[in-house]
Amino acid sequence: MKALKLKKEDLYAYLESLKSYGELWGPVPRGERYVYARLTNVREVALQALRTILPPKKFFVPPRFNMFRYSEDRYTEVFDDVKPRVLFGLHPCDIHGLMILDELFLERFPDPYYRKRREATAIIGLSCIPDDKCMARSTNTHAVEGGFDLAFNELGDEYLVWVGSSLGDDLVRLNLDLFNEEIDAQDLQKYLEWRRKRDSRYKLNFDLTGMPDIMELSWDSDLWQELADKCLACGACSMVCPTCNCYNIRDVSDLSLESGVRERHWDSCMNKEYALVAGGHNFREARAERLKLYYTHKLKAFITEYGKPSCVGCGRCIDTCPVNINVAEVIRALKGQEVKV
Amino acid sequence: MAEIPKPKVGFYGFTGCAGDLLTILHCEDELLDIFNAVDIRSFLMASSDVHDDEELDIAFVEGSITTDHQLESLKGIRKRSKVLVAIGSCACFGGPQAARLGCGDWEKRFKKVYGEVKHTVAEPRESHPLDEYVKVDYCIPGCPIDKHQFFFALTRLAKGMPVELTTFPVCAECKWNENECLLLKGELCLGPVTAGGCNSRCPNHNLPCVGCWGPTSEANVASEINLLKERNFSAEEIVNKLRLFGGAAMVRRFADLLGIKTEEPAGKPRQKKARKPVAAGKAKKKTASKSPKAKSGKKR
Ligand code: SF4
Ligand code: SF4
Ligand code: SF4
Ligand code: SF4
Repeated sequence: MKALKLKKEDLYAYLESLKSYGELWGPVPRGERYVYARLTNVREVALQALRTILPPKKFFVPPRFNMFRYSEDRYTEVFDDVKPRVLFGLHPCDIHGLMILDELFLERFPDPYYRKRREATAIIGLSCIPDDKCMARSTNTHAVEGGFDLAFNELGDEYLVWVGSSLGDDLVRLNLDLFNEEIDAQDLQKYLEWRRKRDSRYKLNFDLTGMPDIMELSWDSDLWQELADKCLACGACSMVCPTCNCYNIRDVSDLSLESGVRERHWDSCMNKEYALVAGGHNFREARAERLKLYYTHKLKAFITEYGKPSCVGCGRCIDTCPVNINVAEVIRALKGQEVKV
Repeated sequence: MAEIPKPKVGFYGFTGCAGDLLTILHCEDELLDIFNAVDIRSFLMASSDVHDDEELDIAFVEGSITTDHQLESLKGIRKRSKVLVAIGSCACFGGPQAARLGCGDWEKRFKKVYGEVKHTVAEPRESHPLDEYVKVDYCIPGCPIDKHQFFFALTRLAKGMPVELTTFPVCAECKWNENECLLLKGELCLGPVTAGGCNSRCPNHNLPCVGCWGPTSEANVASEINLLKERNFSAEEIVNKLRLFGGAAMVRRFADLLGIKTEEPAGKPRQKKARKPVAAGKAKKKTASKSPKAKSGKKR
């Protein structure tokens, strides 16, 4: 990984030159929140944005898309929306979220729909100073060592720019004149100072070691029913979580009855019909069971399988759940309360 | 290839605004395809279908039942149809005209509005959804219905397959559309307890959901009420909102929470036990065997 510097005043010029690679997307305001949107005017980018309503997973597994068109004797996959894209402004937690999706969708059973979109996209990270809903330090996802093509770290009136891939190197070369390759000891000092500042700003700090044990011991806890009484089963917590990846598919016939599309859309384990199987049995009919599954996935099963939680600490569930059920509350309750054994 | 008979389909309307039938009629781009896919035997915007006595594969029925005459027509439609589909929230839940269902003072309310009148055309009764009186195989809610959901149901039924409608509440689609949450901003949004499928039409335009698709199978009405009370909405306001489109579904499932004593008006007894309004999952097996197998011979 190599480091360069870019003057802040040159950022817009550089963003402009990125458009020669493909469509440029970044965070823009929506009301009091932010969303990733296409940046036709680079000055629209919201550099102050912390979390967008939906995480960048929406680019790689769109909430709803057509997998293929079928007719009586053939099918044709639909990749109309797959085109070269640059995503600018991903914070470390979201890059970690994408790396988790990569493990799920590219490793054992590669998902062509995910892969095509992923391969066409360049990822440019951006450093951030946490707010009171960020908990990425607890999940150890507050910094990135990979998973990006370029990563911008704000440092006074400059950005320190990490090049994380050969594509990143190509992207720098789109406008090489703007970059400065001379890094000195002062830059290192400034960077270390910035890191200390960032780390000191976390308000949510949890020790997650041994979380699978705690989850196991809490299996019969009353907590799940208490949460279930409040939970609206609206599924919003799954939709906004950068690592939730469940989906459902259905065939939608054309009126000709001879052709149609296979459609795929996001699903959520909070949905009552999620674990309903043919024959009518529902493995998780009770809301308490479903909540337990959600948090087992985040804090236990994923750790056992992949050695890290599948929560990247982005704080979106904290920002989204209408009845204030979120990963921080659950961890607090699990670690604070007496658990039945 | 031999000609395969198209399923015979009828469309009927009772008390409602005709919005669902109009939604179908307004599908200008698809109307010809609909006529190609199925054999439409009747498309009545009124309830004068008593003379219509043909056997049908699928009947789509809009509107709630508000007169004795309509009730007889509905029973007739049921008798000669293999599959009966309620379309629109009036047919599914009773509609806004059923917002006070279960209060037991219907006759008083009727007199207050219409005065002492002699009923010459038909004997009126309190608005009820179709499944109060006959077996309904599927409910396609909406005020009005969404044409894509209707096409989905139509094509499934035409192929003799069960219809699985959206099971999510409005919030799921609302997040797909990346709307700012109006509930979190302090508005009375019924998205979390309302069946999705409308593509969160109202929040997309910055308007809170008023629940026009009726409650989801999982609606946690108790929690929604608590939450809204915490946001300083009055109990009356919340209950009225929930009942406006929720009609019979709210009364049957959440009477206690809404403070409704479920007395039926005298002389109009409920005919069967309460049933969940969107019974797609449950109805699957039965309807699959009864559905028209129009295309079953057409395999390569
Ligand atoms: S966002 Fe909250 S209320 Fe909605 S399903 Fe998730 S935990 Fe339940
Ligand atoms: S569980 Fe919550 S904080 Fe953790 S990654 Fe998902 S949305 Fe973010
Ligand atoms: S605005 Fe309404 S429908 Fe949308 S997420 Fe909030 S509560 Fe749900
Ligand atoms: S958002 Fe709610 S009120 Fe609006 S169309 Fe959908 S279900 Fe009806």
